[in-house]
Formats: sequence, C-alpha cells, structure tokens
Amino acid sequence: MRPSHGIEIHRRTFLDRGIAGLGLLGLNSLLGAERWRGVVNPPHLKPRAKRVIFLYQAGGPSHLETFDFKPKLAEMHGKPMPESMTKGQQIAQLQGRPLVCFGPQHSFKTYGQSGQQICDLFPHIGGIADELCIVRSMHTEQINHDPAHTLMNTGSIITGRPSMGSWLLYGLGADTEDLPGFVVLTSAGKGGQMQPIAARQWSAGILPSRFQGVKLNSIGDPVLHIQNPPGISKDIQRDSIDAVNRLNRAQHGVLKDPEILTRVAQYEMAFRMQASVPGLVDMSDEPKHVLEAYGAQPGDGSFASNCLLARRLAERGVRFIQLYHRDWDHHGAVKQNVALKAQEVDQPTAALIRDLKQRGMLEDTLVVWGGEFGRTPMSQGGDGRDHHIKGFSFLLAGGGIKGGMSHGATDDLGYAAVEDAVSVNDFHATLLYLLGIDHERLSVKFQGLDVRLTGIAGRVVRDILS
Amino acid sequence: MRAILFLAALSASAQDAIEVLSARCWQCHTSKLAMSGLDLTTREAALKGGSRGASVVPGDTGASLIIQAVERKGKLIMPPAAPLAASEIEVLRRWVETGARWPKETAVKEPSWWAFRKPVRPKSGNKIDDFLQAGLKAAGLQPSPQAGKAALAKRLYYDLHGLPPTAEQVQEFLRDSYENQVEKLLASPRYGEKWGRHWLDLVRYSDTAGFELDSYIADAWRYRDWVIRSFNEDKPYDRFIREQLAGDEVAPEDPVAQTGTGFFCVGPNRDMFPDQADINRVETLTDFVDTTAGVFQGLTFGCARCHDHKYDPIPQRDYYRLQAVFAPAVKVRVPLSRLDSLGWERQENVYEIRLREIGEQIGRIQERCKKEGKAGDEKIRACLNENEAGQLKAVEKELVRMFTNYRAKPFACGVTDVGDYSPNTVIPGKGEEVKAGFPSALGGGDIPEQSFERPTTGPIPLTPTTGRRKALADWIASKENPLTARVMVNRIWQYHFGRGIVATPSDFGTRGRAPSHPELLDWLAVEFMQRGWSVKAMHRLILHSAVYKQAAQPSKPAREKDPENIWLSHFRRRRLDAEELRDAVLAATGRLNLKEGGRAVVPPLSEEELFNLIGKASEQWIVTGDESEHTRRSVYLFQKRTFRLPMLEVFDAPESMLTCSRREVSTTAPQALTFLNGAFVMKQARAFGAELAEKHDAELVQAAWIRVLAREPAAAEAEQARGFLVAQQKELGSRQAAAVELVRALLNSNEFAYVD
Repeated sequence: MRPSHGIEIHRRTFLDRGIAGLGLLGLNSLLGAERWRGVVNPPHLKPRAKRVIFLYQAGGPSHLETFDFKPKLAEMHGKPMPESMTKGQQIAQLQGRPLVCFGPQHSFKTYGQSGQQICDLFPHIGGIADELCIVRSMHTEQINHDPAHTLMNTGSIITGRPSMGSWLLYGLGADTEDLPGFVVLTSAGKGGQMQPIAARQWSAGILPSRFQGVKLNSIGDPVLHIQNPPGISKDIQRDSIDAVNRLNRAQHGVLKDPEILTRVAQYEMAFRMQASVPGLVDMSDEPKHVLEAYGAQPGDGSFASNCLLARRLAERGVRFIQLYHRDWDHHGAVKQNVALKAQEVDQPTAALIRDLKQRGMLEDTLVVWGGEFGRTPMSQGGDGRDHHIKGFSFLLAGGGIKGGMSHGATDDLGYAAVEDAVSVNDFHATLLYLLGIDHERLSVKFQGLDVRLTGIAGRVVRDILS
Repeated sequence: MRAILFLAALSASAQDAIEVLSARCWQCHTSKLAMSGLDLTTREAALKGGSRGASVVPGDTGASLIIQAVERKGKLIMPPAAPLAASEIEVLRRWVETGARWPKETAVKEPSWWAFRKPVRPKSGNKIDDFLQAGLKAAGLQPSPQAGKAALAKRLYYDLHGLPPTAEQVQEFLRDSYENQVEKLLASPRYGEKWGRHWLDLVRYSDTAGFELDSYIADAWRYRDWVIRSFNEDKPYDRFIREQLAGDEVAPEDPVAQTGTGFFCVGPNRDMFPDQADINRVETLTDFVDTTAGVFQGLTFGCARCHDHKYDPIPQRDYYRLQAVFAPAVKVRVPLSRLDSLGWERQENVYEIRLREIGEQIGRIQERCKKEGKAGDEKIRACLNENEAGQLKAVEKELVRMFTNYRAKPFACGVTDVGDYSPNTVIPGKGEEVKAGFPSALGGGDIPEQSFERPTTGPIPLTPTTGRRKALADWIASKENPLTARVMVNRIWQYHFGRGIVATPSDFGTRGRAPSHPELLDWLAVEFMQRGWSVKAMHRLILHSAVYKQAAQPSKPAREKDPENIWLSHFRRRRLDAEELRDAVLAATGRLNLKEGGRAVVPPLSEEELFNLIGKASEQWIVTGDESEHTRRSVYLFQKRTFRLPMLEVFDAPESMLTCSRREVSTTAPQALTFLNGAFVMKQARAFGAELAEKHDAELVQAAWIRVLAREPAAAEAEQARGFLVAQQKELGSRQAAAVELVRALLNSNEFAYVD
C-alpha cells in the first residue's frame, strides 16, 4: 500500500503530460488486439483436442521392455539375428559387430478390460490401460539422437524447420495472455546421462520467433528475471514500468510508430507474468493427495513435478506442453536402467492422465508418451541395446483417441513395424487432425516452397480415432 | 476468311512459339542446364522430353506435357514462378496443334533472369538520390527533410560503430562538418567491430561446433579478429573473398591470408563423432556449399542437394560440381608465425611430459588418504600429513612457475587441401561422377585439373593443393560474375537502411523479392567494382546521399501509401540489435571496456541463466577471470552454438547454425523482463546511479538524459524527473537508489532502444 496519497499523485505525474486518453482501458483493448488468434481460424475440421501434453522420453526407450512384448525374442535369446532381417539395414554402434538376439529383460502382464500387454515395471500405466492407445508400429528415419529428435519435432531433418509446438501455436494461438503458448520442461533421470536436448528442438525455425517454445526452468525461477531486482518492491516496479510506458507513449505521440505501442504492451505482459508465473509454480495450493498421486515434491525438478506442472499449464490455456525426460539411452545394462526409468515415469504418467480425466480435461487434451526411436532386439555388449529406427512404441491418450486399444505391430522379434506402420509424418498428421488442422493446409512459404510439418508425406491414422 | 487467318497463324506460329520458349523456358531447359533432363532448344530434344517423358507430342496438346504444365491444371506447374499469359499459352497450343515446327535457326540467348546478367551502368543517374526520385514520384510521395544534426549523430554512430555517441562526441558532431565526421567514424576501430559483426552473422560464426557435445572450435576467434581487421583496413572485397575461400592457395606464405579460411571452420560440425565420419563429412561439405553460395552469390543452393532446384536454374549436378570444389579440403591449424609456432610446439611437448609427471605425483601424494576412503579435494587435503602436504605444495609451486605468462597458442584455424588430388564426387543415388565446376546457369564451366610441379631439388614443399578453391574464388571475385558485386552492395545497403534493394539478401533467385530499385542496384554494383571493391567507398556514397540523411518521421501519405517504406520517403527507425543494446547499456553507464581483439570473453552468469547450458559449467562456461573483461564489446564475447547468452538471445541474436542475412526483430515480454529485472542491466544502472547521486538535481537529470538518450531533457521532462527523484527518494530511503531507478527507467525507454 502507498504510504502517502500525496506521493502517489506526485509520482504519477512523472512524464505524464500530453498522453491523454490512453488509460488502462485503452491498454487492455490494445492487448486484446495483440493476442495471436492463429492462421487456422476457424479450424479446418472439428477439433477433438484443444491442447497437447507430450511426455517426451529422450534417448530412445526400449519398446521391448515397455510396451511391445516379444516371447519369440526370448526364445531366440543368444542366437544370431536372422540375416534376412538385418541385412543392409542402418545400424548405429553395432556396425560390423555380430548381431545376437537379446530377449526381453522383464516380464509382461495383461492389464484392464482391454487386456493390453504392458511390462511389469509399469503397473500404474497398466492401471489406466483402458485409456491408452498403444501404437506399436512407430518407425523413424534417423538413427542418431539429435537428428532423430529433429525429425520427431519438426518432421524433417533440414535445419530451420518449425517444431510441432510452434506450428500449433502459429495455427491456433493459445488461450492465455499471461503465459507463453508453447512451454517446454525438462528433467534428468537418476541414471545420470546428461545427454542434452538442444533448444533447436523447440525452435520456431522459419516462423517468427514469437512462436518458439519457452523453456521453463524446473529448478529456481521458472522464467529468467521474473523477480524484481533486489530491494525493488512491486509498487516501485509498477512505478518504473509506468514511467517507462509514459516515456514511450509520449514518444508515440510524436512518432506514431505502432511498434512503440507493442513495446508498451509487452512491458504490461511482463508485469502480468511477474504476477502469474510464481502462482503457476507455487504448488502450495495442491492438496496432499494430488502431490502423492504424482509422487511430486514441488521444486525438485523431477519428471513427476513436471507432470503436475503440465496439468497446471494446461489449465491455464497453454497450447502445447512438452516434457523432456532424459536418460533413456540404454546401450548397456538395459535391464537395470529401464527399471530405474520406470520408477521415475510410471506413476506420474498415470497420475497425470487420471488427474486430467478427473477434472474433465482428458477429453480435450491429447497426451503423448514416447521417444525419438526404439532399441535393437539385438544385444549390445551383452546387456544393452543399440539405437533402433525400424520399430518402436508410442502411447496416446485423451482428446479424440480411442482408449483400450493397440495399433500396429512389429514382427516376432520386435525388429520392424510390419503391420499398420506409422511414420513420424503420420503421427504429426494425426496430431494436427485431432486439433482441427488439415496437415496439408497448414503451410508457410519459404524459399518458394510450401513448408509443412508433414513435408510431402503424412497420413492421418484413422483407426485410432474415437 | 477463317482459312486465311488459320494459314497466317500457321506460318507465324513456329517463330512465335520459339520466342515464348526462349523467354520463358530456356532459363532452365537448355542443353547445358537441362533441368529435370529437359532441353527445349531443339525439336528433337523437345520431342524426346525429360525425366517425365515426352514434352511435345506434335498435333496432340492433350498428350503434350508442356501444355499441361503451362496451363497449370495438372500436377506439374511451369514455369514455377510467373505463369504464362493466356496469349502465350495460346501460341504454344497452336504451335503443338499444327505440328510443332521448328524454325531453321534458333540461337540460345543470354540467361534471361535479371540477376544472372552482368550489371551495366544505367544512364539515368549519377547519384543515389537520382535513382530514388522515380520511385517516390510514381508512388506519389515526397522525400522527407533532413534530420536534425543531433539525430544524425546518433544515427551515424550506431550505424558505423554500433555504439551511442558520448556527450563530447555529440558536441563535436554539432560543431564539425558531416563529411569530416563520416571520415572520422570510418577510421575508428569501432567501425570494424560493428561491420565485422554483420559479416560474422553471414558466416554463421561461433566459437563452438554445436550439436550434442558442442566442442570448442580451437582458435575460432582468430578468424573473428581477422574479419574485424579486414573491415577496418578496408580490404578490397575481392581480396576478402579470395582469402576466405582460398587464402592457403592465394598466398601460401601469408598466415594472415590463410586465417581467412577460418570461414570454413567456424561453422557447425559433428567432427567429434568419429564413428560417423562419413556422415559428418557429407554434412560438412553441405555446410561449405550452402554457406558459400548463400553468402557470396545470394543463391539458395541447398535446394539442389537432393533434386534439381524447383525454381532456379540450378540442376542437382551443379550442386555436386560445387561440392567437388571442397572435396579435397580439410581443416588444419594455421601457424601464424613459423618461429612462434615451432617454439610453442616445443614448449607444449615439454609441458605434456611434465604435466603427466605431475599428475602421477599428485596421485602418489593422495594415495594414502584415498585408500582411507577420503574423496574430494578438501577432504583429502585435510587428511594429508605434513610430509605429503609439503610435497603437494612443491607441485603447486611448479605449476605456478609453468603457467606464469602462459600465452594463447600462435595458431589460427583454417583449411587446405589434402594434396593435389581429390576424392571423386558422385551424385548420390545416380552414381554419376562430376567434375569440380561453377553453376552452369551463370556460364560456369569445369575447373581444369591443375598439375603440380614437384621440385626435384631443395626441401620438400608444403602440401600441394588442387587449386580448386582458388579457381572458385577467382571466379566469384571477378568483375564478370553478375552476382558478387550486386549481392554485396545490396547487403551494405540493407545494413544502412534496414531493408535491401533486394529484400531477400541471400536469395537473388526467382523466388527472392524483385529489386525495388534495379537501376540503383546495378549502378552501385558497377561503382563498387570500379572503386576497387572498397566497402568504405560504398559507405561514403550512401552516407552522403540525401536519402540517408532524411528525418525518420513518416508523413501521413507515406504511412498510408507505403507502410513498408519501400520507396524510402523517410529514414527507417530501427530497434538496436542484441549486441548494440548490451554495448549501449555499458557505454551509457560509463562502463564499456574498449579493448580490441583476443580470446573470447566468457562473462559470469547466474545459475538460472546457465540453466540451458549443455554440460558442466566448469567445462562449457569457463568464466574469464579478469573482471574488467566482462564489460567488453559483445562482438568479443564467447559465442556458443547451443547456448546463446540469454540477454542476446532474447533480442534475436542469430542461432548460427546457418548463414543469417537478416536478423529478426521481435518485441516480447522476456525482453522487458531482461531489461527491467536482469542482473546485467541492474548492475550497470547501480554503478551509474552511484556516480549520479553526487550531483545536484538539475545536473543529475541532465547527465542521465545526455548519457542514456544522447540528448538534453526538455524542460517538462526535467521537471518531472526531478519530481520522480524526490518521490522515489522518500520511498526507497536514499538518493542513490532513486537515481538508480531513474537510470533504470531511462534504459528501459523506447528511445534508448531505437535509433531514428
């Protein structure tokens, strides 16, 4: 509160002359005009989902120890891979080494009324099996992490293509004025692999930079410089912003440059973010049972905390929320390492989906779980698995997705997607479809090309739609 | 009557058709270019068609692919850029219907795309302003009056130095003639720091390689300094090109020239993954081709990597002919002086042995404590007995001796050829082997194989090279090349005016924007070459024009008729770029360190700011120890490809994965947060506030205005600012804190961040 009315009046007169008319009301309408409503407006198709939460498992989770049960591979354990399968195929670090079958390292169970087969390490996810569509026939083209991430995010390995979150934001805008419409959160696992995810993965590429993903720090302040400088109270901050905006409006009075008003609006947005962002990450309003359901300890930067934060972002109107959980690159000790990962991701993944459902949000939120590629049915070094692009699994749930089903299959050894194969472009086409966008009609001109998220390919996977 | 008309049409049809083909199709479909395998310069070739089959089927328009394509009804649409007029289509239709006859003689004409023809000096003007007149007149606009001298001072300082003028510099500017001031600014080393930065954007400069490991690129900064020095020396642009593309071949004895080949080293690479050496090599060559073509020729060559270019006459074969130029090139260390580098090598060899010895010694000293389960430096030190501690101290002393006065190594990064031979270059998927050469559409032929004469006596020479890069450099840096001068003068123009005459500065192809003032562009290009490729001469021409000196305030008609200001009826206001903003904060608050050159400076960042850093800060963000270095100009800051300095990133500093010919200008809330709350701005505001607090009110306000906004405050502004100080002093309890708040507000003002 103000200590003295007199001071307030005095302060407010700073540089305030000649700026009649543009009061708070004017500013608000200005901000309204500022908000991006998207180029796909109205939507091409009836939207089935309003937002996406992508639980990205970076490093390449083994499909063989998660969602793709291969008893035949267990039988073949220790025997050479049939050459007919692997001949001439791209492999990463196993280049030139003998290729030996490596059986599943954990057992599987059937879950739910739908009887979905899921690895024992994931009982919580098993508990929501009837919500899930397990896609067992994903395949990609890139065998190394960085390019495979790039393909998964942008549909291409050409540098400078926009990521899917940027496309969605460009196409649809977001339902928030206080937060960025595309938010990224990252967490590292206990396995200690610090394989980085470059910011390029959520870049807007050739789209304007306002559509790029904003990474919130999961430790410390979520947004850089969100707090006032030391010793500056909210009131003082307000005074300084007012002073700045008055200076700027005075200049606008002379120059009539609309860019100046944009800048005024952004200073107001900054001030609002200073108020809204701490509220976003302050989990003290979450009841204990919710925290326990996720297994989240607020502020610990874990995948569990990020899942809870994802729900809070979804509630606040963010369009695309992408969580990266690292550490899935199990070239060695796949048995122990997948178990470790399961401890980190099983409970929070299931908790998020249940939580969304309970709040009535699952029906218009698309949840995706998966990584940039899978892992070889062949052993690497006797206890690990190498990168693998021919077949891997994805989980989908929520908005527009048929629950309790599986789609596609790999062959008996889990090597290649042989039934209803789904490419990365197909996945993107389906994702856009669910959000009301025809992937062939969302494009941007660049160097004479109509650049699309799906390039010149992509087909909506209709079998999995509810 | 009808019959007569028909016969007349028939006789004329062949000649008309060839005219249409020549004007609209031969840009890509000649025997030389044959995009998609199609040659339309002879009847035989046209009937045979290209990779899609027969193009012309006499008498059958329905089966003639050429008709389908120009009618744009099917999948194939030609020409891709500008559709044929209905009358042109009609000519072709009749021609096909009547048997597709060919006149006896048809000479293939000059390339028809404007940018591929040599620029010639236009007759219509002899200075910049003449060329702008016509456009303004046609648009019904008037040029603006000249800007005030104070405004010009700020404009010129930011434009040439990237820094605001000091109070003294403004005074001097007001007293002196404009011409003198232009010369003075061009002669200052600050000029190369600003214009070198433009070039560093183009060559995707970074101190690290990018991707997962983002390794350091050793000695990248030598190239950065070479660029800055080249601009300061006004190195002729043709020389500047030659040294970058082939310094090792152009001047094998000159290490400075060879430093220019750092051009190839400062790009992204994945060389740290040896098990994917073949893929990495391909990616490196792609980077070389795309960057070279984009930067020097304004061509989007990258499109032709996988197929014939869809819009420009660049067949895939040409892409690999250019790639073949670089096929023998490898990255090397360039010794800056033979003597120094030999001395340094000798020293390093000794050091390596001594360091290994010291490492083992430390191991032995710590052995006992480690066996007792102690870990970490502090715990082990606490456990050492007197004897062991003494030994450790001796080791530390030796290290101090070794590294006192330890200097940067005397090498630059560069490239040279593996030898006077090269691996073959083959078009992937087609197996066709190609020779090194230049784009056919520009009349470029193959590079003849060079034979290297091996001396029979005397010392064995340094590695011989193929001469391919030198041939390319000579071909590009030639007055015969239609693109080189045009592309560069257009860049210079763009950096002065915020928009190029061709608004797509690295795309002069058919999908780029057409030049707004084609004659001006050609005139500038010819002037550039005639004035010895002097960049500073071009600055003089531009800076002395009336259009440059115009006021920035648009008139009402200008706002309505030409909101993009294409016709330059007024000067274009611009936001300061990321580096300018940081430098200006330092300059305005009196904290800027103007030291030139040297190793990249790594400024300290908070843990939160480092959150997006890949890897450990102790390895990836090794803060420069000398604090006075932290306030140096931004061009000297460490540029990490996977992690841009947050303050620069938020103001649109480029990512440096690809060549960047034009920066984006965004206006976002995180920018506001950075300037309102960020530690960097606060720190400088505090330092300046402390300095100001000692002044009287009136003096304080005046000093703040002059330093931050480079002008005197208006009377009303001064009065209000004094009121603000009084109020904030009451609120914050100190005069100094109030002064800091005033500075903070001014640094956040639009006027500070924009230049008129």
